[in-house]
Amino acid sequence: MSKFWVITKEVYKKNIKSFGFIVMVLAPILLVGFIAGVGYYFSQQDQTSEPTSVAILSNDPELQALFASEEWNFAVVEEIESEQDARSALENEQIEAYMIIAAEGHTLQSEIVHTNALSSQIPMIAEVLSNYQTMMRANEMDMSPEEVQTLTEPVEIDESVVSVYEGAMTEEDLSGRLIQEWSAYAISIAIVVFIMTYSGIIAEEVANEKGTRIMEIILSSASATNHFFGKLAGVALVMLTQLTIYAVVGTGTYLYFRDTAFVSGLIGELDVVSVLRELMGYTLIFFVAGVLMYVILAAFFGSLATKMEDVNKAVTPIVFIALAGFYSGMFAFASPENSMAVALSYVPLFTPFVMPFRIASGTVGTGAVWLSIIVTFGFTGVISVISLMFYRSNVLVYSDTNLIGTIRRSWSIMQSNKRARNLRA
Amino acid sequence: MLEVKNLNKTFGELTAVEAVSFSIKPGEIMGLIGQNGAGKTTTFRLILDLLTPDQGEVLWKDQFLSKQMFNTIGYLPEERGLYPKVSIEDQILYFAQLRGRKKADIRPQIDEWLKRFDVKGKKTDKVKTLSKGNQQKVQLICTLIHEPELIILDEPFSGLDPVNADLLEAGIKAAQKRGACIIFSSHNMNNVEELCDSLIMLKDGKQVLNGSVHAIRQKFGRTKLFLESDLTTDELLAFPGVQFVKKNREGIDVVHLSEESKGQAIFDAATAQGYIPTFSQQPPTLEEIFKKMAGESNE
Repeated sequence: MSKFWVITKEVYKKNIKSFGFIVMVLAPILLVGFIAGVGYYFSQQDQTSEPTSVAILSNDPELQALFASEEWNFAVVEEIESEQDARSALENEQIEAYMIIAAEGHTLQSEIVHTNALSSQIPMIAEVLSNYQTMMRANEMDMSPEEVQTLTEPVEIDESVVSVYEGAMTEEDLSGRLIQEWSAYAISIAIVVFIMTYSGIIAEEVANEKGTRIMEIILSSASATNHFFGKLAGVALVMLTQLTIYAVVGTGTYLYFRDTAFVSGLIGELDVVSVLRELMGYTLIFFVAGVLMYVILAAFFGSLATKMEDVNKAVTPIVFIALAGFYSGMFAFASPENSMAVALSYVPLFTPFVMPFRIASGTVGTGAVWLSIIVTFGFTGVISVISLMFYRSNVLVYSDTNLIGTIRRSWSIMQSNKRARNLRA
Repeated sequence: MLEVKNLNKTFGELTAVEAVSFSIKPGEIMGLIGQNGAGKTTTFRLILDLLTPDQGEVLWKDQFLSKQMFNTIGYLPEERGLYPKVSIEDQILYFAQLRGRKKADIRPQIDEWLKRFDVKGKKTDKVKTLSKGNQQKVQLICTLIHEPELIILDEPFSGLDPVNADLLEAGIKAAQKRGACIIFSSHNMNNVEELCDSLIMLKDGKQVLNGSVHAIRQKFGRTKLFLESDLTTDELLAFPGVQFVKKNREGIDVVHLSEESKGQAIFDAATAQGYIPTFSQQPPTLEEIFKKMAGESNE
């Protein structure tokens, strides 16, 4: 087994077995479970909620019958027969609403007084009454039900939203756009969460080995390149494991619960497959690029820390950059065509946050997207090389000064080694 | 054989190591002494290729030390570190694998090594549950179990009680018997005197002593005289070449001479009446030499 794999395996094994990993994996599952549980509880509450007690005053019993069906969830108090009684019953909180519906000739007139208990049902009530009135008038005109239907048939509207980009008009799928926006949103949050956790993990790994001088043993056993990338690979595998667990749990949960009324009500018209397709596309590329970039930086900053206690201080710059990236993303969400958002979408550390929103808004062409991806991966390559160059000398500097001081000393060691190597060659 | 030739290393203005040269044959133990900041750790790092010398070279078996030789090195850094949450066994296996050994080859040896160093605890115990001394011994096992040919120990004795120090000494001697080249640094001159075939003393990066322990001590001459006789302190001070006289705890006079030859006159006077129980003329101990050298200014 090569030393690279020895290191990768060790990092992987150590982290997977740690209590922190279990907590990290379980926390979001528990959180989602909790939220779903609460949502389910309230949705059950809604269905079994107390009927609204209503008095319906009308000279036409047929009108009263309109509101008898269970859908309305009305408890009609039939004893109340006059407006005065209804008013006092409402004042005494015996009822929550009363409706006065008067049919004069072929015109309905209605007054509804309620304690905000019917507000969500008013449009429906209006519709039912309007229909009734239409029927009454149609009867008067001797129209057949078919004729009535033809009359009331709604206009067919075919809506298509288009986006114009560089003189070309492309049709946009409305729900597709919404899905893209929300996956961009989800990915921004996921990137931030993953950056925070995994930057912490790798920086701690590195700083711990440096602080305990294990680093010196390792660097006298294996090359810095093997060590640096072995560690990154180990942490990447841990991340992959976490994602796999979520994928399995998510798929399992979906398959198990998809037929229940609650879940289908929640997902509704949403096409799960198209959401996944969206997530698997550019979004996944940006997720990988984003996390990779930041994790490499974290390894670099971790190697600047002198002891474990300094890790948080050392990764602070990364956290700030990531947060700045996240908010640029939110900004791009709000105004994707702003020139600032456009510029930021090509800045490597911000691309993964900003570009998905620009893609979602349809204001960017495929070529530009690939350009940003290439720039991002190119930048990732460059920072890997620079981090690795510094890594070798960073881990030999034990300094109480600030990060800049450490980098400066590391730089001088690096230069001195380089000069010496050149002389030797 | 390890050959270190004229090593020089500067960091900016600071000269960390200057003109350090020595060689260690297989089966030889060399001690590296010097005050804190004298350049010992830098010298080790230069040998290990963690740093590149500005001048000079490190040759191992007539070749530049390079990645190919990683597997033949055993290195114990000055500050002890292990992964606290990993078991003793996994720890040893990991470091052995990094030195290119197979798990299957090392695993059967672990019990024997733990016994040899008298490590208290099971091999499945996590490192953090061990006492500091036991952790240190586990780290020594990590340094030695892959049977390295070049062993570099930075302050291996610090923090060990005398019993454990003996176990370490035995471990070092066993490696010597195998034919390993061994360098260690120490602040305890007794360890150095007992173990080392040769030693180097660094001061401000420069080599101020170099040679076998015996030769170095002899170089300073037998200027210390332990004497039990009827001569009083005043009488002793009257002899030419006597710098001062102290009584040690056993009541024996310790006479400091300006040079070795001045002892003869005292011997004659002390034995004029016949038998005396003690007359021993010794070179200064390594510790005294160390203090003397460390105290001297560079010029």
